[in-house]
Amino acid sequence: MNSPLPRLDSRIGISTPENIAFEYRVAGPWTRLPAYLVDLLIRIVAVIVVWLVGMIFFSFVDLAAIGWFLGLLAWFLAQWFYGGLFEAYRNGQTPGKQVFGLRVLRIDGRPVTPIQAILRNLLQMVDMMPMAIIPGFFFGEGDLYFPTFLAALVPMMLTQRHQRLGDLVCGTMVVVEERIPVARLDAVDQEGLAQLMELLPANFQPSRSLARSVSHYMARRRYFGPARRQEIARHVGEALAAKLGMPANINHDLLLSAVYARSFFGSTGELLNTTKKVKGDKGGGVGKREMELIK
Amino acid sequence: MQPLALIESRSPQWRRLETLCDELETRRSARKLPVTHRVEFASLYRAACADLALADAYQLPSDSVRYLHQLVGRAHNQLYRTDELGAVGWKEELFERIPRRLYGDNSLRLASLLFWGGFIAAMFLSSKWTPVPEFADAVVGQEALEKYEAMYEESFSSSTYSPEDRIFMAGYYIYHNASIGLRCFVMGLAFGIGGMFAIVFNAVIIGATFGYLSTTDSSQNFFEFVTAHGPFELTAIVLSGAAGMKLGFALVDTGGLSRSESLMSAARQTMPTMFAAVLLFMFAAVIEGFISPSPLPYGIKAAVAMASSLVLMWYLVILGYAQQPDEEEDERLAVE
Repeated sequence: MNSPLPRLDSRIGISTPENIAFEYRVAGPWTRLPAYLVDLLIRIVAVIVVWLVGMIFFSFVDLAAIGWFLGLLAWFLAQWFYGGLFEAYRNGQTPGKQVFGLRVLRIDGRPVTPIQAILRNLLQMVDMMPMAIIPGFFFGEGDLYFPTFLAALVPMMLTQRHQRLGDLVCGTMVVVEERIPVARLDAVDQEGLAQLMELLPANFQPSRSLARSVSHYMARRRYFGPARRQEIARHVGEALAAKLGMPANINHDLLLSAVYARSFFGSTGELLNTTKKVKGDKGGGVGKREMELIK
Repeated sequence: MQPLALIESRSPQWRRLETLCDELETRRSARKLPVTHRVEFASLYRAACADLALADAYQLPSDSVRYLHQLVGRAHNQLYRTDELGAVGWKEELFERIPRRLYGDNSLRLASLLFWGGFIAAMFLSSKWTPVPEFADAVVGQEALEKYEAMYEESFSSSTYSPEDRIFMAGYYIYHNASIGLRCFVMGLAFGIGGMFAIVFNAVIIGATFGYLSTTDSSQNFFEFVTAHGPFELTAIVLSGAAGMKLGFALVDTGGLSRSESLMSAARQTMPTMFAAVLLFMFAAVIEGFISPSPLPYGIKAAVAMASSLVLMWYLVILGYAQQPDEEEDERLAVE
């Protein structure tokens, strides 16, 4: 966690003035694209609805042009102020961002100010630049103007927080508000685990860093097949087996499971209790997401 | 305490905090949330922060740490929310801060000088007293000038504009003109320069067109058309230009900041000016759509122009002078 190396994942640490330190996951271009498309769709639909309703409503009084007026006004507002006003009034979220759990924050983690929200959205105009032109695309009748979005993508790639130009100007970033369920300890009930735990020296208490590494491994373990598990577990397992004076041909995956159980569950008896508890919870109202995750 | 027991004992409170976050995230239920729950939210948030801070000492597994990070992040975003500019906020911004800032704004003074100077000079050079007869042709181009001339051949008293056309045109003017203003501002920000260029360029083109049309037969119709919305529209152009220019100056005179930082703080300071400009563009568009092309007598159109000039005077000079310049406010905008 306190690795001196630059981090490869997109997590950004925040220290608030109250000295609370936590991490956000920053949203990159691919995370933000669906939200952008949803917002674009909402804007287009809203303008068309305003225009149509205006046209239909005012054509009864023979003033269909008011529909045009409203449509153009809506287009203007949607183009320039849609994102800014939503982000200013909904705590940094446009409807699209809300759907995909994104939020705009200042780079120090504080909420955006209304002025920042509006300015960073005005600058969306620059994002589409430069325009690629394909002359005579429409059967030789007209040229196709195609926004390349390079002005947005290049700064996003170059900055650690994936900021586009508007973000850089306003000192903002877009973070993912993850919603992961309460992590429960994975019940480890493999064959032979109890026997192996007997073999562990009674006074063996894993160090913090070992416990942390093993918990990383256990969190990811369910995604790997048996052979892969052995391959990964071998790196720590060999050294550990030698240190504890265990036979060299021991199942390394099982050994790490035992270390995990020792450091987080205490003893086998408790471990078995928890296993039951988890199973009992499945019937209760804990939530389906968690169950899916357990599976 | 074993990590397992700790997680077991703490997770009900974490879940409770999650539920409260869910409620705060939707506007409607957030408004109805009783005070006791808000107090509970604050204490749960502090407890979760403490758990996260001690996660290493408690030897929590990595999954739980990740969970706590996202929980604290979510709760933090609900505890510290964007200050909504309420009705009072907008009023204060529009009628106190913006006039105050505009009144003391040197780049606005320079922008008006450049704009009106360029405008009057170009108008003189393309009028009938010009020492350089080919000026208008060279600046605006023969083709464009002829197009403008043809546009104003018909008198508005026998106008064929229907009310429908006028409403449509008002909408179009809002969309088109205000977009140009905003685009100038954004371009000035993105490319740093451009503000001063844009303002002189516009002044000369508009001035030359005015001057040229005054020498033609269409002159009466032309002036009848432009009088009513002129004050708002031209002031809006000057305001956008001033905002763009301020960005350019921020690149040169950084005031001790780095160049990019200085450009950014200038952009934040000029944003409210741009709002004023957009509002003016909108007023101008409505006048341009409804009053300018109407067959109303010229006197009324002139009265509209005078009234709008007086409103601008009141806004820029009286409101601006009445409010003392507020350094702190500028600083707040610059820092945030």
